[in-house]
Amino acid sequence: MKNTQLQPLIAPIRRLRFLYVALFFAAWAAIIGLRLVVLQVFEHSEYLEKASRQQQHVFEVPPRRGVLYDRNLHELALTTTVDSIYVVPTEVQDVAATARALSALVHDDPSDGYTSAKQIEKRINSSRKFAWVARKADAKTVDRVKALNLKGVYTWGEFKRYYPNSVLAAQTLGYVSLDDAGLGGLEQKFNDNLKGTPGRMLAVLDARRHVLGSEEREPVAGENLILSIDENIQFMAERALDAALAKTHALSGTVVVQDPHTGEILALAIRPTYNPNDFRHATLDMLRNLAVSNVYEPGSTFKLVTYSAALEEKVTTPDSMIDCQNGAITIFGRTIHDSHAGLGRITVSKALWESSDVAAVKLAMAMGKDKFYRYIHAYGFGERSGIELPAETRGLLRQPKKWGATSIGSLAIGQEVGVTPIQLVSMVSSIANGGTYLPPRMVLSSEDNSRESGRLKPIPYAGGTDVPNPLPEGAHRVISTLTAAQMRKMMEGIVLFGTGKKAALDGYSSAGKTGTAQKIDVATRTYSKTKYIASFAGFAPVNNPAVSVAVIIDSPKGDYHGSAASAPVFQQVAQQVLEYLGVQHDIDIQPRNTPADKTPQIEDNPADHIGDLDALFASVNDLPADDPLRNPVQTPQPDTVARSETEAPPKAEVAADTPRSEPSTVIEAGVEPAAPEPRSAPQPQSETSAGFAGPTGSVVVNAGKRVTVPDFVGKTVRGVIEAAASTGLDVHTLGSGVARQQAPAPGTPVPAGTSVVVRFTR
Amino acid sequence: MATQTFAAQGFEQPVRRHTVSAAERNSTLFAAQQRSRRGPTPEVFFSKHLDNARLVKAADPQRSREMRSFAFAMAALFVLVMIYMGQHFSAIEYGYRIETSKQQLEQLHEQSTRLMLTEAQLANPERIDRMAKSLGLDAPLPGQVVRPELTPSSDATNGPVLAQAAPAPSVLTR
Repeated sequence: MKNTQLQPLIAPIRRLRFLYVALFFAAWAAIIGLRLVVLQVFEHSEYLEKASRQQQHVFEVPPRRGVLYDRNLHELALTTTVDSIYVVPTEVQDVAATARALSALVHDDPSDGYTSAKQIEKRINSSRKFAWVARKADAKTVDRVKALNLKGVYTWGEFKRYYPNSVLAAQTLGYVSLDDAGLGGLEQKFNDNLKGTPGRMLAVLDARRHVLGSEEREPVAGENLILSIDENIQFMAERALDAALAKTHALSGTVVVQDPHTGEILALAIRPTYNPNDFRHATLDMLRNLAVSNVYEPGSTFKLVTYSAALEEKVTTPDSMIDCQNGAITIFGRTIHDSHAGLGRITVSKALWESSDVAAVKLAMAMGKDKFYRYIHAYGFGERSGIELPAETRGLLRQPKKWGATSIGSLAIGQEVGVTPIQLVSMVSSIANGGTYLPPRMVLSSEDNSRESGRLKPIPYAGGTDVPNPLPEGAHRVISTLTAAQMRKMMEGIVLFGTGKKAALDGYSSAGKTGTAQKIDVATRTYSKTKYIASFAGFAPVNNPAVSVAVIIDSPKGDYHGSAASAPVFQQVAQQVLEYLGVQHDIDIQPRNTPADKTPQIEDNPADHIGDLDALFASVNDLPADDPLRNPVQTPQPDTVARSETEAPPKAEVAADTPRSEPSTVIEAGVEPAAPEPRSAPQPQSETSAGFAGPTGSVVVNAGKRVTVPDFVGKTVRGVIEAAASTGLDVHTLGSGVARQQAPAPGTPVPAGTSVVVRFTR
Repeated sequence: MATQTFAAQGFEQPVRRHTVSAAERNSTLFAAQQRSRRGPTPEVFFSKHLDNARLVKAADPQRSREMRSFAFAMAALFVLVMIYMGQHFSAIEYGYRIETSKQQLEQLHEQSTRLMLTEAQLANPERIDRMAKSLGLDAPLPGQVVRPELTPSSDATNGPVLAQAAPAPSVLTR
């Protein structure tokens, strides 16, 4: 019984084992609890971020760049999506083979080093996450790359700018970089309006990385610009210019067509040109907008200012007699000769028809320099016109107080003044529209709607007969309506009886003025004896002008006169444009078999030069700091731009938007440069249209003094550069090591700033 | 009928701890505990007839109401949960559809832009001029294009017209 009492009446479970199990579970729960605390309290933000990265994706959604329309809503520039090819380097197994395979497909341009196998391989090796293979490739190339099915190779949609008319109005439209930044023309000027605002999209992804929802801020597309250009008129102008350049073998040419009653530019043709779809192959010469960035001495076309001012000031009348003194006049010891001697007392009208320099000088002197200057300025010369194009120069025009004794005579015949083609056509339009200066304009409106929305209406050429009322900002009356009418009549006489017979139209009356000016040789600072600027500025029809046209041909070969080189271009352009616009004929149409006019053509020869070229060169220094004549490099090197990548915007683009602050290359005439900075590349020196701007757009104005070329042979590169800098010369180095040869030879007197080519060998 | 069981026999036997299983041991112990509680008195059971016909379950309306309410609440909860789940999954489904539609819209917009580009390229004046020349066409000469809207109509003026014998110009309308 004793044993029975001692037997415990409990479940047969051992306490110690129960304790162990309980402790085990407690520890397990504690560990889980602690881990949860660590995860949800201490590492909360980190895992939240990881989850967001995994489940959500924030995209930067680029905006679509605005469209450039002509006035009839034809697209001149628009943006569409193309694929770019990239590689995720960590997924690529054989980098060299992949790079070779990709390069074989995308490297279609031998001059494009970016897509070479070596460069692609280098980019893949230098990055872990991302490397571009080819930006904005064409659809066929992308298809071929996709067909390769290479591991780690993907495509990404990007916007690409297209110019469907290729070279048409290239300098006016400009071009954009790979990163959609405007780098020239209107693309650059209106970059902020055109580029739009980028959007952001927060996408929620599922386990298969499919977007199952998104929260986004839509990108705002850029504004669409309606330009005043008419695509067809632009084509007519460019076709006529191409034909003229092919015929005359000229260096360059510009044709500007303007509506004289509104100031709207209908066409702006420039040659040489480039294809903005392929701007990498363009040179800086081609990128320059010669219509606004280049100046030239207008020569006889500037006599329109002289004569109209004289008429307005009542100095003379069209029928007044003026003594041309048999074609020679001497002012302050300098004699000016007419191109054709024998002009005695003739009417002022006839003097203009014959482009008499003597008459122009006498009229200007009768007015006085202050009054004359006032009219020159009122016509828009010496001021920026305000046209919506970048890098516009205001031209070269000195204040009367800086004029020399003979300057008034020079200016009367279009010397000692530098004008742009836009300024010239605006002056002619002022006469054509009845005497009101209207600032030229290129952009009609900026719209949020596109053509496909149906809410955009074309703005066809109206062909008005009056200037706007009220006048737009910057417009003002220059001469009276009567004076303008007299000038129109006199200018018609130039075409009918004077130097501009080749500008006569069929079925329309026309008026204009020829001009032939010698080019200025920058190196010698003298007028070239072989190169000329042939120009013609006119309008048609005479009584109610519909268009004004300015034609400038630089260095035509053969017959270099404005009457021969430029007037036919005016005739061709004006005739076609008037017919295209449906302007009613105001004179009888000539029968088909009308014999050609056999009357001798009066040539408008360049006038004797009495002007002070040094003073004209010096006036470059009076220009504002951002004037293209002082600071001409407004456009970055295309090659640099082409290499830009999204991750690292190119510095060149940044530089394009910010005015350069480097000191001007213009040197005060007659002053020896103190210590010019050595330049790594030579500044090419050649004759330009005005002699003020080099082919690369740089201003090269030499000091009056000449310097002797030192002997560089035996010196190192550094020594040569220092020696050249101390004498004010540029150096173009070839090779490395010690200088062995140089050109020009030592001891040669050359203008300061001349580039000396030095060859180095080891 | 009675049943008598003597338990002393098993209680006295030594337990073979190492040979019997735990279940056998437990049952043996349990039987031993019963025997010890019973003591030496034999246990006698008698059968007795019980008539529960008079037992009647009393109606409990409150409990019934409570049960009905509970059932209704649970059903409502179930429906709500189902509605919520339906909405949730349909929202996900709509999310996919909306994204697909957005992509379609974008693709159509892109296609429209490409067509505009193609149209602009085809309407390039240089291309048209080249094609026209290849077809032997040339620009009309002055006077060959007659614009009726710009030409004063004789009917409108109702004035006299000078009769002229001239070849009719070819009329080209744009």
